[in-house]
Amino acid sequence: MFCSTDDTANIIWFDISYVDTISSQADITRFFADNNVNIRFGYLDNTEHAKTGKYIIFTQVEKSVDVDKLVVDLKGLDVVHDVEYGISSCKMVQSVEFPLNLLGERAIIARATTFVDIIRTLYENVSQSDGLLMLSGLKGGINAARYFKGITTIDENNFKDILKELFMATGWGILDIECNCDIMSGRIFVHESFIADSFKKSERPVCGYMSGYFAGFITEVVGKTMQVREVRCKSMGHDVCEHTISLAPQGAKLEHLLRGESI
Amino acid sequence: MIRQPNVIFGNSRLLITMGRKGELFGFFYPRRDYAQHVEDSLACIHNGDKLLWLNSHEWLSTQEYIEDSNIVSTELSHDSGIKISILDFVHPEVPILIRKFKIHSEKRLRGKFFYYSNLNVGEMDKKNSCFCDSDEKLLVQYWQDYYIGLKGIPDFKEWQVGKSMDTIWWTNAKYDMEDGKLQNNKEDIGQLNSALGWDLDIEAGGETEITVLIGAAQKRTRLYKRMRELANQPIDNVFEKTRDNWIMWLSKKNVLSLSVLGEHNMAKQEMFSAYNRSLLTLNLLNDEKHGSFIAAPEFDSNFEMCGGYGFCWNRDGVEVVLALLDAGYPEYCDRFFKWCEKTQLSDGSWFQRYWLDGNTAPSWGNFDYSTQIDETGATLHAIDTYYRSLEGIAKVEFLEDMWALVLRGAEYLMKRSRRGVHDPCIDLWETYYGRFSYTNASVYAGLVAAAHIAEEYNESGLADRWVKHADFVKMKTIEKLWLSEGYFAKGIVDKKLDPTVDASILGMIVPFNMLSPDNREERAMIYSIIKRIEDKLRIKVNNHYGILRYEGDNYIEGNPWIVTTLWLSKTMLSLAIAIQGEAGSEKQVQQLVIDATNYIKWSLRGTTSTGLLPEQVDKFTGHPAWAIPLGWSCALMLDNIRLLDKIR
Repeated sequence: MFCSTDDTANIIWFDISYVDTISSQADITRFFADNNVNIRFGYLDNTEHAKTGKYIIFTQVEKSVDVDKLVVDLKGLDVVHDVEYGISSCKMVQSVEFPLNLLGERAIIARATTFVDIIRTLYENVSQSDGLLMLSGLKGGINAARYFKGITTIDENNFKDILKELFMATGWGILDIECNCDIMSGRIFVHESFIADSFKKSERPVCGYMSGYFAGFITEVVGKTMQVREVRCKSMGHDVCEHTISLAPQGAKLEHLLRGESI
Repeated sequence: MIRQPNVIFGNSRLLITMGRKGELFGFFYPRRDYAQHVEDSLACIHNGDKLLWLNSHEWLSTQEYIEDSNIVSTELSHDSGIKISILDFVHPEVPILIRKFKIHSEKRLRGKFFYYSNLNVGEMDKKNSCFCDSDEKLLVQYWQDYYIGLKGIPDFKEWQVGKSMDTIWWTNAKYDMEDGKLQNNKEDIGQLNSALGWDLDIEAGGETEITVLIGAAQKRTRLYKRMRELANQPIDNVFEKTRDNWIMWLSKKNVLSLSVLGEHNMAKQEMFSAYNRSLLTLNLLNDEKHGSFIAAPEFDSNFEMCGGYGFCWNRDGVEVVLALLDAGYPEYCDRFFKWCEKTQLSDGSWFQRYWLDGNTAPSWGNFDYSTQIDETGATLHAIDTYYRSLEGIAKVEFLEDMWALVLRGAEYLMKRSRRGVHDPCIDLWETYYGRFSYTNASVYAGLVAAAHIAEEYNESGLADRWVKHADFVKMKTIEKLWLSEGYFAKGIVDKKLDPTVDASILGMIVPFNMLSPDNREERAMIYSIIKRIEDKLRIKVNNHYGILRYEGDNYIEGNPWIVTTLWLSKTMLSLAIAIQGEAGSEKQVQQLVIDATNYIKWSLRGTTSTGLLPEQVDKFTGHPAWAIPLGWSCALMLDNIRLLDKIR
């Protein structure tokens, strides 16, 4: 999301459906330049159909410009199928289309602090908040893995790469995964964890939601019950967040816990 | 979490509240107010591929009571061709819930039947302990002296006891069910959940039956014996016994003829059903041991959106016991007034609300200025009403038992209404501070009642003093609160007259009789009040009109209330009875009866699918809203039908 403080201009977004030729995008960009419209941000989406594409452009336009005429002229380009547009009266524009979609579900953009505020509130008010966060993450991880299973092949060989890219794409963090899939044992390092970064200082690991997410994701992919625990956390002063991966012990009898066997 | 039930059932020690898909919302043992042991408890099918939770949107459901009983039938159907019938009832003598599942499948079904529970025994979400006795095939969860047990018929084949909210998520029974196989962990402590499993192997078009027993006891050994004994009895016999028990209880009621409805058999049947259902519901809201009643089964125990309903208010309690008295169940009065004797405060008043055992409940009325004086007036009024119904030795004994209570209560009312209008306090809706028409009427009625009892007790000096003051209260109330527009103001709030039209001014007529339909001048005032309320508080929902509590009410969306609607119809019927027989009154009586009947029918359109009367009706959807079922609504339904029965 971005906003402008220039009172003489409007922020206008255009959703342009176009014929996907080698010069289409150049034609559209040139049109805006010729009409003295300043493109601030934009993105292309050519994934939905083979021969058509979508060009989302956020512009800053002098208030004196006749926007309706601009749109009519834009629609007149040979490469353009249709144009939708909107003027942001508060000069605030989202940088992605609405409603946003992620892994087949409705998604939103939220600041990391929003998520961390929820975590803090849980810590302060809810007993067993670690368990609650772990279970919430678990659900998210399971659902994400199920989504990937539905659209591609995902198994012990490639889940690490998919998980890494997923975390990067969503802005959650940068992953290094070391995992011996024969014995299902290893570690996940999370650089720039959005939770730890936003949480700042803590005396205990705060990325339990991510541990749950990893556990759910890997369990769903490999079909074995996994335990994931955060053993180092950037919020505690460590360089990086580290989660250990292991097979969950059979059951969890109290005596095992007391002997530390499941930890 | 706030979850309103669609149905309730139980016995004297166990109250169950349940959703429309057979999911348990509440398991109250040993009292109706405490402890509520269940967070979740429901069945689930694993079809070999995935879990089909019975409370998911994938199932269509219908739910109703077996006629004249507190036995519930729930029918569920799933797109995949699975149909499940659940028969739910509580054994008449012991606190054991019997849940008989009949599973039918159009296609071959190989999978599992799971029964999942997340119990907070003793209302504790920690320090619980759970174990599965695999020899006895009994799963038990306990905290202190609360033991809850689950057993199957046939025996369950697998189980899981796990932590419901811990980082060791793989022990969580809910997750353990996902793969269709349980781990058979035998015991654990903390915040727990559990699952029981049975193999399902149903041929296409076939069916199978599984019964789940959920019992409660104060000792482990007692629980074992109860569960073992019941599991050995033919469940169909227990069902018959339970049904007979309810039919027997209902047979004590005063029988209705409802001749005023003529040959309208549908309307009559609807009223008969509502009468029976209200009686059966009030039975379930009563604490047999202490005599008190919950206003409604608790559904907001964290007070997230209101102050909760699972407590006893004198205001509601007296409405309920007088309705039951009139319907043929005087024993509830006797027990309730004994409870009042124990709960009366040293100054002669009653607290805002109580736990059923008589302890004071969480309250926002801890001071003189925040108490609710009307509850004291209403209690004295009800005691006298009951007293007048008694004869012989019972009457003498009751008078002896109650005299000290009446004396203290009356003196309290005297003290709080010296200037003829009561001291500032909270109104009956528990929302405003001030001096209110309704509360004044209750003071008047309480003093008149106390005076009558004093006369009977040969205390004519006190009687004279109290009745004179009652007349003074009446005079001052009319002088200060009757408006030239023809109705009573809501009250005096912030030292200013508040002319808001409030349905509670009907209390001037019923039950407190400050205005009598027998007095022609006052009768005109009554007509005027009715008209004002209809003009200002009617709202169209479900093709007719319900009555709001007061102008500008915004509690839970400002819906019309069953209580206020039936209060208006009760007033109309009381008026009709008072004037019937007077020359030339036929048309007036007929119109009053038609209007009242329409309000009663409107109230019945706002019930749950099982016929439970709620507190409110959602003004947008017409569905039952908020507290379900509300005892006061049921009491007013009984009153209305009994009055209707008296119209000739």
